[in-house]
Amino acid sequence: MLRFKSIISRIVILHVVAVVITSIFMSLALSWLLSYATDNIHNKAMQEQAVAVAEHLTARPDGNLELNLPLDLLGLYSQPYGRYSYAVIDDRGRVLFSSLTDHVALFPSDAETGDVEFLQNRRGDATVSGASIRKTVGDKTVWIQAGEDLANRDVLIDDIVADFYRNVGWITLPILLVLLAADIAIFRRALRPLRQASEIASQIGPTRTGLRLPTEEIPREVRPLVSAVNHALDRLEEGFRIQRDFTADAAHELRTPLSILRTRLDILEDEQVGRALRQDVEGMANIISQLLDIAELDAFVVDPAEKADLRAVTAEIAEFVAPLALAQGKDIALLGEVDPVWVKGNPEMLGRAVRNLAENAINHTAPGTTVEFVVEENGTVSIFDQGPGVAEDERKLIFQRFWRRDRNKAGSTGLGLSIVQRIVELHSATITVENRLTRGAQFSIRFLAAGDATGKASGE
Amino acid sequence: MRLLVVEDNEQLAKLLTQGLQAAGYETDVLSSFEEASMVLRTTFYAALILDLGLPDGDGLTLLREIRHRENPIPVIVITARGGLNDRVHGLRSGADDYLVKPFALEELIARLEAQLRRPGHLLGSSLRIANLEFDTRNRQASIDDQPQVLSARETAVLELLMRSKGRVVSKKQVEDHIFGHDGDVASNAIEVYVHRLRKQLSERGAKVQVHTIRGVGYLIAEEK
Repeated sequence: MLRFKSIISRIVILHVVAVVITSIFMSLALSWLLSYATDNIHNKAMQEQAVAVAEHLTARPDGNLELNLPLDLLGLYSQPYGRYSYAVIDDRGRVLFSSLTDHVALFPSDAETGDVEFLQNRRGDATVSGASIRKTVGDKTVWIQAGEDLANRDVLIDDIVADFYRNVGWITLPILLVLLAADIAIFRRALRPLRQASEIASQIGPTRTGLRLPTEEIPREVRPLVSAVNHALDRLEEGFRIQRDFTADAAHELRTPLSILRTRLDILEDEQVGRALRQDVEGMANIISQLLDIAELDAFVVDPAEKADLRAVTAEIAEFVAPLALAQGKDIALLGEVDPVWVKGNPEMLGRAVRNLAENAINHTAPGTTVEFVVEENGTVSIFDQGPGVAEDERKLIFQRFWRRDRNKAGSTGLGLSIVQRIVELHSATITVENRLTRGAQFSIRFLAAGDATGKASGE
Repeated sequence: MRLLVVEDNEQLAKLLTQGLQAAGYETDVLSSFEEASMVLRTTFYAALILDLGLPDGDGLTLLREIRHRENPIPVIVITARGGLNDRVHGLRSGADDYLVKPFALEELIARLEAQLRRPGHLLGSSLRIANLEFDTRNRQASIDDQPQVLSARETAVLELLMRSKGRVVSKKQVEDHIFGHDGDVASNAIEVYVHRLRKQLSERGAKVQVHTIRGVGYLIAEEK
């Protein structure tokens, strides 16, 4: 079974088939009609010829018959012309007169036939077709036959059919083409709302769930499909909303009691106990916060149009973590590019990635050393620390959730780097971990440049 | 000084009140959008501590309403929403600062004080780190209660650093603060002033340290 990808091609092909069949049928019908009409004319002419011959048939006094054809008729039946012929036969089948040289009948005689008969007979190579009429002359009943050699006649009909196609038939082709063009135009017009709907549909994504396909101008035949798609989108949007709401609700339900606990400890009289408990609460708050981050990231989709200034994001994080680092006797430095570096992504998420890397570096670098942030023009941010570095076989493990080298080390949840990893994935970025030649590790994330979308920012 | 706390969680509201009272603030507590919106129309408060998730409305809506009425009250938003877009929304809607739960009471009070000390706000008096004190009313620095004479530029830098205690001041902020937005500043001018200030402070025995965070900015902290 043939399968057509496009409705228009289907229409065109079916139309061509229909037109070809119609043309074949038309020429057959035409040829048949012509042939039928010609037969009629021929039969009539033959009958008239037979009548004309019969008029010149007279009975002699001795009872025998006599045929005296005038000159014009003699010429018509002359042998050199050869197109027409006649014969007169009596009731016993004897040939009385014949225009043929061998003096034979045109058609086999049959006494039972009626007043007028139309007959056909093969004679050598030629086919003779003609009429036979019965006439009584004197006391004799004879049959007068008149015939025509058909070899000449077909040529005539063929000429007429060919003429028809030459003069009239060519018009069917332009009509066919006009019809096809009209079909295509009608169809394209009818499909235009569908194309517009497709354009809208192509913009629908997890970041834009509110869009719906327009139904007003859609042809009625297709409207059920469009409505069904819109209903499906409604359900998807609801799904997204539920997931987002869950994260927000979970955040609220977890953070509020922690906040109460924390505040209660803050106003506690006993400083000694308070401090230890505060640390516990902080650790827990940290884990919850990171778990919520992960939950949020699982449901998060980056808007492809969004861009961020990686340099500004990194500077903000460096400012944010600097007091923390200084409190531990560690230093922070921001190096590299000083102008904006535009990359594709959500600024807040980029910030979280950089922040987690920074906190990780600060945790691992030794007091008195510096954690360096380097932003490069190509969209790379690197964090250098002067800690123990990351062993070759641990470089994959460190990005797994809850993985920690030292499970007893305080302040580490084992979630930070997995958050970084997830953000990197969401942004189609790449992360690399290497050890520095001197001492410490280097984490680099390379984001996609924001490209032309940023206009002048990256173009100049 | 009277603060308004809008927080629907009774326990947290009570604890915050207790903590803020201990720090010397009088507080009123409201638990609904409706009440808060009404009370803020008629009563003057030094600052508003606003929880975003209220039972009868969104705190951000209240915030927009306040700003729409051109009420300049400092607003610190406290919220359980730490989501990606919430922070941006919060600050754009006119919050002066933003804390995600759970937060340290100390942090809240520090942020509150930072807001109240801003020009035009109520807490005008003195900032202190270790033995260094800075009086924002007459812009006078003193070490161990001894008034110090510093140049105008050094004083300006010190004031900015002291106002941003515990936080990094970017180089750009220092530039803007000293030279205004359109000043043509030599690239190392700020470093020179900070360097001089640092020298002055250490020579005069201040137990503070002005940290330079390369590529980022400056931070003043107690000397370790």
